[in-house]
Amino acid sequence: MKRSLPRFDSKFIVIAVSVLLLLYFIVLPLLVLIYDSLFINGVFDISNYKDVYGKKVNWQALTNTIQLSLIVMVASVVVTFPLAWLVGRTDLPGKKTFRTILVASYMIPPYVGAIAWVQLLNPSVGYLNDFFKFIFGLSKAPFDIYTMGGLAWVLTLFYSPFAFITISRAMEKMDPTLEEAARISGSSPLKTLWDVTLPLMMPSIVAGGLLVFIAAASCFGIPAIVGMPGNIEVMTTRIVTFLYMGDEKGIRDATALAVSMMVVANGLLMFMSWMLSHKDYTTISGKSTRPNMVELGKWKWPAFLAVSGYAFIAVILPLSSIVVTSFLVSMSKGLALNNFGIDAWIPVITSSQYMESVWRSIGYGIVAACIGTVLALFIAYLSVKTNITGRSIPDLLVVLGGATPSIVIALALIITFSGNYGLNLYSTMWILIVSYLVKYMTMSVRTIAASLSQVHSSLEEAALNSGASWIRTCKDIIMPLIGPSIVAGWFLIFMPSFYELTMSNLLYGADTKSLGVLLYELQTYADTQNASVLSVIILLIVLIGNIILNKVTKGKVSI
Amino acid sequence: MAELKLQHIYKRFGDVTAVGDFNLEVADGEFISFLGPSGCGKTTILRMIAGFEKPTEGIIAIGDEEVSNAGKGYFLAPEKRGIGMVFQSYAVWPHMNVVDNVGYPLKIQNVPKEERHQRVMKMLELVHLEEYGERFPNQLSGGQQQRVALARALVARPSLLLLDEPLSNLDAKLRESMRFEISAIQKELGITVIYVTHDQSEAMTMSDRIVVMSMGKMQQVGRPYDVYTKPVNQMVADFIGLVNFIPATAKGDRVFMQGYEGMSFPNPKRLSGEAVLAVRPENISISKTGGMVEGVMHHRFYMGDSIDCRVKVKEHMIRVIHKGARYDDYHEGDKVYLDFDNVMTFSKNE
Repeated sequence: MKRSLPRFDSKFIVIAVSVLLLLYFIVLPLLVLIYDSLFINGVFDISNYKDVYGKKVNWQALTNTIQLSLIVMVASVVVTFPLAWLVGRTDLPGKKTFRTILVASYMIPPYVGAIAWVQLLNPSVGYLNDFFKFIFGLSKAPFDIYTMGGLAWVLTLFYSPFAFITISRAMEKMDPTLEEAARISGSSPLKTLWDVTLPLMMPSIVAGGLLVFIAAASCFGIPAIVGMPGNIEVMTTRIVTFLYMGDEKGIRDATALAVSMMVVANGLLMFMSWMLSHKDYTTISGKSTRPNMVELGKWKWPAFLAVSGYAFIAVILPLSSIVVTSFLVSMSKGLALNNFGIDAWIPVITSSQYMESVWRSIGYGIVAACIGTVLALFIAYLSVKTNITGRSIPDLLVVLGGATPSIVIALALIITFSGNYGLNLYSTMWILIVSYLVKYMTMSVRTIAASLSQVHSSLEEAALNSGASWIRTCKDIIMPLIGPSIVAGWFLIFMPSFYELTMSNLLYGADTKSLGVLLYELQTYADTQNASVLSVIILLIVLIGNIILNKVTKGKVSI
Repeated sequence: MAELKLQHIYKRFGDVTAVGDFNLEVADGEFISFLGPSGCGKTTILRMIAGFEKPTEGIIAIGDEEVSNAGKGYFLAPEKRGIGMVFQSYAVWPHMNVVDNVGYPLKIQNVPKEERHQRVMKMLELVHLEEYGERFPNQLSGGQQQRVALARALVARPSLLLLDEPLSNLDAKLRESMRFEISAIQKELGITVIYVTHDQSEAMTMSDRIVVMSMGKMQQVGRPYDVYTKPVNQMVADFIGLVNFIPATAKGDRVFMQGYEGMSFPNPKRLSGEAVLAVRPENISISKTGGMVEGVMHHRFYMGDSIDCRVKVKEHMIRVIHKGARYDDYHEGDKVYLDFDNVMTFSKNE
């Protein structure tokens, strides 16, 4: 008791400070957003909602969003479940490589994917369209990316990794003897899949699907690049349009749309975690037998071709398109051998304007990651390692931030931190960094908390018992054990912050234009080549980050 | 009908030979245990019988039917072998209630609903779970899940039942009572059982014969009594029961204890040169007045029903389990005499 009393005090101060910070930067802005959408000049008034949903274009955006997200969700699950099963549970050749490729598409910024598919499938000069025209002698381009179908296509390819990761993780965690028990009971492999594997996977399938739904509905980059040229509006693009109007009415309309999005997204996520906690199928597991791999037999090579085809279309084709485009001398001359060179690269890497944005984004990412990791460490420690009342409140607040669509966060920060509530961060780098922290800290907390919870408290107690102080215990025992997860937590904030678009696009000022915003502008001004060069730079940095991360965590965590 | 034959079975994972030249014939209705330390290949053999692993070489036959013949490249899928199996992790499906779990093999066979229900209820009666049919696995204790797994393995009336360390996740008391229950059910149904375990007391009490495994090889097969009293090598002697090994030298028809050359034992195996004497602690008697060898009481541990002693004889520390003595009969440092009974002899590397 004597020893724990002073520790209790310092922990209490830490918890109080972190709760206050989180309340101020996460909860207050969201409350202000809700208040502003429901009250006009201090009087309760739902006319904002009436106005917004009274207009056909907004209704259209809402139905588009729901329709698209549903299609993307279903398509992602339908494509992902067999992929996860083939890669995780069968003797598919090269499955390790496939797994890496499929997970890797998760780290490609979605808007880069959108740029790539515009290059491939735009009706006038799309590479693939040209290819098909040439092969089949068509007079007209067979595909048009600027349609609902095109939008659903790109969204599915770039958000299905959410479902793939969720489903394949659950599949790996499943006790393989549950399937073997069905086989020995007389059930064929296919019937086992249907009777045992699928039902046991159902919570994860639903969870993966919902993640995709929310991600697709909250996405701004892809609809902005693929949808806008075809006059297809979704909720996020509507919100941005309203904000661009710049007047008070525009902002109020935007808040009404944003609040509706927030309610749906957080509601779905709450339902998801409720469902997962109530359908806990983790069972007692015995010695770890090597999961019994289903032999595909004569289906081995057809399955290999199908998975290869998917990996090619989903990852290799778009990445190649970006890289190839960046190395074209002249866009108009197309893919000819004498048309390759680094001509497009020179002006980009010598342009101080472009390079400033690159360094700026790296800098913002580093600042956000450093602050975020320290906070995440405190929050994870409190929630996992202490038994103070309210220890999990900071964790919950962080989850709330991460669950809120980016565009909603950005809008909430704009209206809150323009000076009315103590701070004026408008157009400073800090509003960008706050937004990154609100959105991305949750992954970092999860990762660090997961590894902290594996450091049994007896390890700490043994150190205290050996006479080490609490600080010394942290340094000698806890840090070495959770070090890799801290590095992972750092990168989990750095990477998405570094290439963030949605929030940066609303929050940047004259001197804080980030890389994502610059790239988006280049793409909308139809400067595809410079956009490609910058995309390749982003991809390289993300790749390097992932390699470092892989080395440090020995492959346990990657983005 | 359910005799089981394994002929020249090999299983290699890459360069590692998990099982090497395994041969066994199991009679109908026999209860056989595979006993050995972890990694000895016992589970691999069980999984080959079940059909979850393919033997690299060899033939497996159940009854008159070959289920696996590596030479002919023939391999029957697990679902077509008609075997019942209980897994170490129970593998009770968490999304089905007890009745559905137990009834699943019958559902696969398209047994009509009413008959199915009857047979499931009969099985639940057998494992004393008739009240629990509507429960889900997460509402059952480990022991109850174990019974569900057993009922599911038996419901389709397989002629061969495989059990993979089924009791290792249960607490000691429950383990003991389940042991007798499984034995009783086996006798009642007259079913052939292959039982994998690393717990020698399980193997001893339940089995007709024990197969002792080590390093992927069968070391010995025989009745529990024979394996215990006539182990074929040091590994078996050491793995089953407690044993003292004392270095010795064999010459002619005697084996001489090292450091105590006056003491020798018969040499039935006609060993010569370096040898090992093996004697179980309970086969050594201790006295204050006289015996084969002289030693000093080094340490005593009170065990309730016995005293577990360490006696120093020359450079050897010998473990003696002394039954029926009072704790105060001997003290550390006392001079004592030991008599050895049932001494086994092995060549040094046997």
